[in-house]
Amino acid sequence: MSKNFFEIKNVDFKVGNKVKVKNVSFSIEKEGEIICLLGPSGIGKTTILRTIAGLEKIDNGSIKLDGKTLSSEKINIEPENRNVSLAFQENSLFPHYTVKKNILLGSERNKGNKKKQINIEELIGLLDISQILNKYPHEISAGEAQRASLARSLITKPDLLLLDEPLSNVDQSFKEEIQEKLKKILTNLKITTIIVTHDSYEAFYLGSKCGIILNQELKQFDDPYNVYHLPNSVEVVNFLNRGILIPAEVTSPKSLESKDLGTITGNFVKPFPIGSNVKLLIQPEDLQHDDKSNLKLHVVDRKFRGTNFIYTLRASSNTLIPVFVHSHHIHQHEIDEKFGIKRPIHIDHIVCF
Amino acid sequence: MKFNSWFFSSFLVSFIVLIPIITVFASFFESTSNYYEILKNTFLFEYISNSLILLLSVLLLTFVIGTGAAYLVSFYKFPGSEFFKWSLILSFAVPPYIYAYSLTAFFENYGTAFTILKSLLGDANYNKNIPKFDGMFGVILSISFSLYAYVYILARASFLYQSQNLIDLGKNLGFSRFKSFYKVILPAARPAIVAGLSLVAMETLAEFGAVDFFSINTLTTGIYNSWIYFDDLAFANRISFFLLLFIFSLFILENLSRKRAKYHINSKGGFKQKEKIKLFGFDAYLAFVFCFFIFFVSFLFPLCQMLYWTVKFPENLFDLQITNLVLNTLYLVTLSSLVLIIFSLISNYGNRVSNNKFLNFLSTLSISGYAIPGVILAIAFITFIAWFDDSIIKSLGFSSIKKLFIGSIFGLVLVYFIRFYSLAFNGIKSGYEKMNISVDESAYLLGYSKRKTFTNIHIPFLRNSLLFIIILISLEIIRELPITLILRPFNFETFATTAYISASEDLLEAAAVPSLFLILIASLFIIVTSKYILRENNE
Repeated sequence: MSKNFFEIKNVDFKVGNKVKVKNVSFSIEKEGEIICLLGPSGIGKTTILRTIAGLEKIDNGSIKLDGKTLSSEKINIEPENRNVSLAFQENSLFPHYTVKKNILLGSERNKGNKKKQINIEELIGLLDISQILNKYPHEISAGEAQRASLARSLITKPDLLLLDEPLSNVDQSFKEEIQEKLKKILTNLKITTIIVTHDSYEAFYLGSKCGIILNQELKQFDDPYNVYHLPNSVEVVNFLNRGILIPAEVTSPKSLESKDLGTITGNFVKPFPIGSNVKLLIQPEDLQHDDKSNLKLHVVDRKFRGTNFIYTLRASSNTLIPVFVHSHHIHQHEIDEKFGIKRPIHIDHIVCF
Repeated sequence: MKFNSWFFSSFLVSFIVLIPIITVFASFFESTSNYYEILKNTFLFEYISNSLILLLSVLLLTFVIGTGAAYLVSFYKFPGSEFFKWSLILSFAVPPYIYAYSLTAFFENYGTAFTILKSLLGDANYNKNIPKFDGMFGVILSISFSLYAYVYILARASFLYQSQNLIDLGKNLGFSRFKSFYKVILPAARPAIVAGLSLVAMETLAEFGAVDFFSINTLTTGIYNSWIYFDDLAFANRISFFLLLFIFSLFILENLSRKRAKYHINSKGGFKQKEKIKLFGFDAYLAFVFCFFIFFVSFLFPLCQMLYWTVKFPENLFDLQITNLVLNTLYLVTLSSLVLIIFSLISNYGNRVSNNKFLNFLSTLSISGYAIPGVILAIAFITFIAWFDDSIIKSLGFSSIKKLFIGSIFGLVLVYFIRFYSLAFNGIKSGYEKMNISVDESAYLLGYSKRKTFTNIHIPFLRNSLLFIIILISLEIIRELPITLILRPFNFETFATTAYISASEDLLEAAAVPSLFLILIASLFIIVTSKYILRENNE
């Protein structure tokens, strides 16, 4: 018998008769863990949450929570009987009730169950919604509505909490603070949570595991570090927009040769036979600036990103290579100038496809 | 497809509403009396041409009055503009037949106009100088001044939603005020105006009281006459068939224009509230005169005429059994509202939770009842019950059920249900449309069952919509004439039937009291709901 707290096995996620994501399997080992699902808009992330919540049915595979089957080909527990809470991305507060009444409706679910109670005042304080409690949903901003909706979901202290883009409408300046608070609440209360987001940094911060959904498939489900540094497919690389793929030839178990960058050494994440032609992932932080180097590339563009610059360099084969440089770096290059790359090039994790 | 209780309840409602239409189409192939042959060679052309003349004239007049008034109160500030904004819908309280009585009472020989002139200028034969508003002209005026509010309300709502950006765009292109109106404002409001005109068209073709009073032969009176005087139900249904074809094409037109109208409603994003332009001097005077003229002619004039006669002939007030009439009206209104609200809630909720395309289609069919004239509904209903009784009930050896349906409150309420179902259904539907489906889903996820979601979330949310629908249904039932006239139990009268009977017996003075009460009660309902009708909360 599976020991996982939550488990999805071989499920096709559908809306009506249209399959959105095929043959998905992943699990959450321990109660209280947070995982994040990442993917572009319209890919089916919300469908996955809706199905877990019981709002959509499945025809194959199974969804289990704490050893109990919630959905399968034959079983479908109604949403109201799952104790699974879903906070929608759009404003789904009851429009004819105040924010306070909306939140209190959430608390009705586990009335009498002291273990399941959450201190409302504390929650209101943490989410900073005290000033909107007596307002109606149409009188508050989208960000406030999301926080109120989050409070309503949390107050039920569900067995599984599903958050659909929970902070998409929250102001950027306030986002990090809320992320920290959210993580603290979820961890303290030991609420197992699945968060859907398109913001990779949010996912990497909140989730102990991240799933990447692309082209109707769960492409990768792994620790945030591995997803970031060790993407398992070209699609994941492209989705995370982490760098570029350049052609290279494997010359030894620890090196490659590239026409544009010369010899590159490091540890292969996945071994390739010597002599095979591969596509090597170059991420902006893999290369270092050094004007004394004889490897010089042309600056095509320079983006100022506050703490750093990202230079786009043109190699001899016309490939565009991104390089990350700290913004306090002494020598800055203008467009069309030459930019030196430190040699020998060493990359800790060599990712090739 | 799921054949659950929602499916069957919606199917049942649709079937009941479709009975008259099926009956009319089925009866088209039945043999009729000689009256059909006589009529076909003599009056049928007159029926059709009269209906067309009436329709086109009313459409033209309601367009000018409704759109003109809506434009003035939506875009300009002038003395009384705030008052006219809501008072111009009071004309709804005066049904066309009561307007017709007022018109005749005022302008007839030795009528109210004559009395006024005599008291002002002394004895003389003024009759030849007083214009006569009767016949076709009288009908056109009666219907137009009663129904222009449909165009006014919808055009105004559309003008209200027009962003200042649109007006600024016109100015930026160098348009004059007039050019802006017909190049920018009018085209943007076109779907709403067409929708309003379609409603006017349907009501005009269905109009019975005023047309009958002025003895104009239209398809609707033809149906009534062939049934009441020639006892030829088959022929009544045959004329109904032609009229229904005509109405269905209007119904489709109206539906199409409503679908387009969605594209013209501005979302909140980018919407800029209009600044009303303040009119001064002659312009302000002209705007005031135009609006006051419409308000006076459409509402004050019939009200004063009926009031004058009630005061002049007080004995009619005492002859009338007002308590009975009020109780009868209240009885009909309560019963009908209750049945309509319950079934409309069931259908709407069924549609919402099952999200079944076939159910949606059935619901669309079942709201067609409003497009069918009351006369046709009542006669088709009688035809169906007679057929059902003769062919099925009696052949099975049961006793006749005619009395249960014809000349009974039950039958009357059933036909009201068919006629006004679309009002209740669409009213609740538009209430539901304001509530995102994720609200239901949130309730389920908070542990609410479907029933608890309905009672604890939906009903409180729809409370205002339900109240508005009840008042709207009440208003319609108070004014309704042909169905009540044909299907009411013996000796059961309403204000409308009492006024009609007195007027048809040439006792216009006696018709004044029930007409006055009808106008006052209807006005009260309109004033209460004017905020909803005009969507003030969006202003």
